[in-house]
Amino acid sequence: MKLRNIANYALLVVGSIVVAFPLLLALSYSLMSESEIATFPPPILPARPTLDNYAQVFATIPIVRYLLNSFVVSSAVVVGQLLTASLAAYAFSFLVFRGRQLLFFLFLSTLMIPWEATIIPNYITIRSIGWLDTYQGLAVPFMATAFGTFLLRQAFLQIPRELWDAARIDGATTFRFLVSTVIPLSRPALGTVAIYGFLSTYNQYFWPLLITNQTLMRTTQVGIAQLRFEETLRWGLVMAGVIMVAVPTLALLVLGQRQLIRGLTAGAVKG
Amino acid sequence: MRWTSRDLRSLGIGLAYLAPSLVLFAAFVFIPLAETINLSLFNTRATGAITTFAGLDHYLELLTSPAFRTGLLATAIFAIYTVPIGIALGLVLAVLLNQRLRAINVFRTMMSSTIAISAAVGALIWLLLFNPSLGLLNFVLSRVGVHGPEWLIQPTTAIIAVSITTIWLTLGTNIIVLLSGLQGVPEEIYEAARLDGARGLRMFTRITVPMVSPSLFFLFVVDTVAVLQAFTQIHVMTRGGPVDATRVLVYSIYQDAFQNFQFGFASAQAVILLLLVMGLTLIQFRFVERLVHYQ
Amino acid sequence: MRRLATLALAFTMAAAACGGTTPTGGTAPSGAPADMSALAPAKDVAPAATLTWWHAMSGVNGDALNKIVAGFNSSQTKIKVEAVFQGTYDDLLAKLNTAIASNAAPALVQVYDIGQRYMYDSGQVVPMQAFIDRDKFNTTDFEPAVINYYKYQDKLQSMPFNASTPLLYYNKDAFKEVGLDPAKPPVTFTEIADAAKKLTKKDASGATVRFGFGPSIYGWLFEQLMATSGALYADNGNGRDNRATKVVYNSAAGKAILDWWKAGVDGGYFYNPGIDNDGAANAFNAQKTAMYIESTARLRGHITTIAGKFELGTGLYPRPDSKPKEGGNIIGGASLYIMKSRPPAEQQAAWEFVKYAMTPAVQAQWQSDTGYYPIVKAAYDQGPSKDWSTKYPQFLAAITEIRDSPQNRFTNGAVLGVMPQARQRTQKMIESVLLGQATTQAALDAAVEDMNTQIDKYNKANP
Repeated sequence: MKLRNIANYALLVVGSIVVAFPLLLALSYSLMSESEIATFPPPILPARPTLDNYAQVFATIPIVRYLLNSFVVSSAVVVGQLLTASLAAYAFSFLVFRGRQLLFFLFLSTLMIPWEATIIPNYITIRSIGWLDTYQGLAVPFMATAFGTFLLRQAFLQIPRELWDAARIDGATTFRFLVSTVIPLSRPALGTVAIYGFLSTYNQYFWPLLITNQTLMRTTQVGIAQLRFEETLRWGLVMAGVIMVAVPTLALLVLGQRQLIRGLTAGAVKG
Repeated sequence: MRWTSRDLRSLGIGLAYLAPSLVLFAAFVFIPLAETINLSLFNTRATGAITTFAGLDHYLELLTSPAFRTGLLATAIFAIYTVPIGIALGLVLAVLLNQRLRAINVFRTMMSSTIAISAAVGALIWLLLFNPSLGLLNFVLSRVGVHGPEWLIQPTTAIIAVSITTIWLTLGTNIIVLLSGLQGVPEEIYEAARLDGARGLRMFTRITVPMVSPSLFFLFVVDTVAVLQAFTQIHVMTRGGPVDATRVLVYSIYQDAFQNFQFGFASAQAVILLLLVMGLTLIQFRFVERLVHYQ
Repeated sequence: MRRLATLALAFTMAAAACGGTTPTGGTAPSGAPADMSALAPAKDVAPAATLTWWHAMSGVNGDALNKIVAGFNSSQTKIKVEAVFQGTYDDLLAKLNTAIASNAAPALVQVYDIGQRYMYDSGQVVPMQAFIDRDKFNTTDFEPAVINYYKYQDKLQSMPFNASTPLLYYNKDAFKEVGLDPAKPPVTFTEIADAAKKLTKKDASGATVRFGFGPSIYGWLFEQLMATSGALYADNGNGRDNRATKVVYNSAAGKAILDWWKAGVDGGYFYNPGIDNDGAANAFNAQKTAMYIESTARLRGHITTIAGKFELGTGLYPRPDSKPKEGGNIIGGASLYIMKSRPPAEQQAAWEFVKYAMTPAVQAQWQSDTGYYPIVKAAYDQGPSKDWSTKYPQFLAAITEIRDSPQNRFTNGAVLGVMPQARQRTQKMIESVLLGQATTQAALDAAVEDMNTQIDKYNKANP
């Protein structure tokens, strides 16, 4: 038994290092000087670790502002997604109406539309309503989510029908039931939708680039791109930026990882 | 079938709940899509302005062009390399992580950490790793006596390299979904199987896989859609090369729209890609879902 | 549907309002240059109080750019310039294109060299020549090579801002090691091949530890090689006498270049980093290659990273053995365009800023901060410029190079509406040759055929 545990741990350690290796390497490079990186054989650990790259990131781009912007926009999107997806998922799980199936497929179809097909018309829309360089412009287009709706629908379908029947008998309105029973019982799934929404918004590049002109309104991925200069290459600097930008998302993952798994276990993906 | 007033009423209520999502979808997805479809029927200037009506010219040109066929092939190869392996790897690791060991959460976090890395960042790191002479990958290989290939320079290995990067990027998602699928399998089922004499591999193929097949199917659909739209990795690592080996459909749309400024033409490609993805998903639902075992 | 029609309408109106500067194709260049003053705002128009400038400079170069802006803003009280970073040159152009479509373009924008024809065809630019003619602005002291690149039919369309040329970078220590003279870098194709063979070093197991020469597959480098070969890239005087109708690089010159390149890679003394320019630079820094070719803009970065690990040398860009007299290098980098869609007051303000940016003191500081060429020759007499040249003598090779380059259509460089695409296509061509998928002539012909189709398409779509 003990031997099997050791074997298991060994596999886990090796597996984790292999998977997390690229990220660990980025961390390592972020602590090296340019000169040290440009050597052969390629270095793995810094011989003379330095925080210069991090200092340079602060000096080159307003990283704190970018992190703040990303955080605000991602949070706004999460709130919006939770609202729209809960309402829609509720309709697809508890309400009965003709055309429900069709509308559900309509929702799913949005997942298949390539972003290039919509990005320019969206830019023109945002521009014409004066939302360039605003948090709204960055967040609103993404506040509806077919993925989240799908996920929540599966979770809502796991809620026992008896509760619904009992609530009806008690005279509760449809909406009441959603708020008082369905939502509290679906917390893990809601958590999952929240985390997914946050991460995917946080990692956007092209849209924020397109609709923000002011430096102060830009977001983290645009910021990292700014560290890749047109004419020269500074890997240490780029990796420092990468690490700084990844820290919040990793923190989120550490905190929410358990939630994430539980949210999906709650029947979300069982069909 | 006729619509009763009751039908209309319940539809109205349903729509009320769907309204916020529908309004946003209409404004930012469906209407832009309609504009794109419209644009695909016209010739455009470099600035996007419409010049003349092209009808189905763009579509005909695409369907008869060898470059388009190369793109389809590249897309297919890319998907075939990436999706099955990514899911299989995710399953193996998820099984490994599905044990009640001390500090298992640390390992779970580490292995699903790829979910927190954006495609741009991940691709950048892998670009460093794949460098034929200075990258760690080939250096490590040389240490064990293997002469590593010129990853991003040879067409065959370039697509493998992008595939590996994409598998890594989606590994976090795959592990999380499969892990939760595994945790949803009641212990009684394993117990019963064990009493029947099932062990190890048998247990895995006869019990585990069917029990998580809903998750497997979900990932199959979702990952395929994601891979068919994967753009950033290719943009960072190969720019569609070498010699168009990684010029998947979505990348050629980007090039035609944002580099060559041929919007009408790019729009036609986008429409074709959309139809392709929809078709593929429908096929998956019709034929593959049969294999899924729902509880 | 309606919106697109509105866009189209907006365009036609804009074009009409601006007096139809869209050029008609196929006319021979006129004799005496007509005065373009009419295209600029009237001289007495007061400049706008604020001006937005889109650029693609970040990091050290971005800082230097902001310094210029700050200097301008503090030197007078009438105009305040706001510089906005918009990503890479590619991103900036994509964004500009989108902005033009929705009438959101800024007054001043930095666009890279190969975006020339596109900018011109967009009909959205007020040619710099208009202001020059109107104010009788003196451009005699401007570096001819630089100015000539941005002229079309002898009219200056935009003001060069950051100019660079490509150089041969080489490792002097490696040269000494194999008995080559570190003060005499190779210049011709054969000299480079010979030197590369000597510089290539293998270890006990036969793996190459250092390659002699490691150029990346970069379309710009190919264009430069055509230029030093004294050959045309496109017809109609490289697209400068009139709109180009086809590319012509499948000539003997093109073949010679590819043959040389392929022989090197096949022979194992040229390193192939693929399209990864950063990778090629990194390989040189890490001494995996002893020579390589790239822009002068990378000079400063190399010096910082190499940091005394080895001695860095720079030499002239490679050219054929015959060293054609008409051959020379093309200017790269980017230039500033004044956009027509903005009100005359803003155009005026943009011009004021452009003039400021071209003063010798500003140019000298810009060179010192970035390593780009000064556009005006008087800048070289300024303190910061002199200090720079003393500190980085490697830069002198660059200055020699453009001063010695003859000014003709070959060295002016090609102008094509589809230049970004053309550059990509030559990269694909070189890849196919180096991978052994096609012979050099076949690859050249295939690329030319593809591009001619694209040029046709472009010319038809943008009359």
